[in-house]
Amino acid sequence: MKKYTTIWMLLLITGFSSAVNAQTNKKANADTEAWRYELEVAGTGVQGTYLLKVWSYSKKPNVAIEQAKKNAVHGIIFKGFAGDQGILGKPPLTTNSNLEQEKDEWFKEFFADGGKYQKFVSLASDGAVAAEDRMKVGKQYKIGVLVSVNVALLRKDLEDAGIIKSLSAGF
Amino acid sequence: MKRQIIKAALLSLMILGAITSGYSQAKKPTLMVVPSDVWCNTNGYMQTYDDQGTKVKIPDYKRAFQENSDLLAVISKINGVMAERGFTVKNMESVVKTLESERAEDAVLTSKSGAGVSESPMDKLKKVAKADIIIQLTWDVLRTGPKKSVRFTLQGLDAYTDKEVATAGGTGNPSFSAETAVLLEEAVADKIDNFNAGLQRHFDDMFANGREIIIRIKKFDSWKNDLETEYGGKELNVIIEDWVRANSVKGRFSNSDATENMMLFEQVRIPLYDANGNAIDARAFTRGLQKMLAAAPYSIVNKLTAKGLGQAVIVLGEK
Repeated sequence: MKKYTTIWMLLLITGFSSAVNAQTNKKANADTEAWRYELEVAGTGVQGTYLLKVWSYSKKPNVAIEQAKKNAVHGIIFKGFAGDQGILGKPPLTTNSNLEQEKDEWFKEFFADGGKYQKFVSLASDGAVAAEDRMKVGKQYKIGVLVSVNVALLRKDLEDAGIIKSLSAGF
Repeated sequence: MKRQIIKAALLSLMILGAITSGYSQAKKPTLMVVPSDVWCNTNGYMQTYDDQGTKVKIPDYKRAFQENSDLLAVISKINGVMAERGFTVKNMESVVKTLESERAEDAVLTSKSGAGVSESPMDKLKKVAKADIIIQLTWDVLRTGPKKSVRFTLQGLDAYTDKEVATAGGTGNPSFSAETAVLLEEAVADKIDNFNAGLQRHFDDMFANGREIIIRIKKFDSWKNDLETEYGGKELNVIIEDWVRANSVKGRFSNSDATENMMLFEQVRIPLYDANGNAIDARAFTRGLQKMLAAAPYSIVNKLTAKGLGQAVIVLGEK
């Protein structure tokens, strides 16, 4: 009888913790959609890539790290970023401010957990976060993660899918 | 039966024609990367000649390409990026070589009777290396103690309207050890995206509001009339202006200069396609005006010349 109780307890704890994790992920996704992140140029990447520090918000640091990849791709498509210390900022890939609403379904799938966005981004320092890049803001953490985004590939993919216009479109 | 087959064939041809015209696209602008005059001057790639007592300096592109390997590295890097984005960039080094060899060939080319190649001053002028968008390139190496950095500027100039349509520039991070070529490559990688964003804005504007061109109207001095001559109670310059207003996109143009001998229309926005869906440039657009002037009641003999996609000149009075 005691054995069954232990199993039930274990199952309940697992279920509860995954529900909490899913909830945290959901919250982090909502933060991304509300553009609650900051991009900071971190260096000149090799041609066709951008090296960025992404500041994301989450209750759990490991969720923030994964969310940083999503935020970086989102920011490059819709927001662009400012320059710093001799490195130029970059404009967003789209100049259409309504693009996200117009292609709502497509972007939902693209930015879903495990979605296609992952193809274009990698963590630059294996996800290691420096002590000064981990801040407690209220009940959440603000985590700065270094990521590298393959912009050339991302742009080509979006152009091929007809989401953004290519430079030579119309000619 | 035979009649039915012919009918079916004609119908197929018509459908094919309609489809083809539907797919017709605007003419793609040609791009060419050119070192700026400032860069050529700073690096000693200038030629000086005497223009009736005044010393004039012009860039010596040929020597620059032969002697400066950094220039080649930067240009090929830009060419590569632009090719990835769907544009072929004219290689200026090859254009300069082609012009040289053509000049040499023309000099020795004679007919059996000893006649040389006919070349008007206009033909000579047109031989100048040209592209629709010139990407002007400037860089210099800045040194602070042992560190060096590269200050780099790219300017996209519309070759015919002389407008700056895209620009990007800035100074890169200083480095102790990196070679100049590496710093330059880094500068291109860093700045080309912003440059292309400017170019994209220019193309977007072109598709939304039409291509911007310049139209010049001139007259041969042998022609007895001028632009103030009246036809049906209207001066010729007013008739021409009315035509440009009626045919430009949203009637947008600026008649910036007009005398009895010439007219200059700038910022004339022309549609990218004609009524049949064919892509048009300045020459094709201005041909309508040429035809109108040549027909009754004006019956003015005239000559139409074009410079690239963006500039057309009609000279009245003769062919």
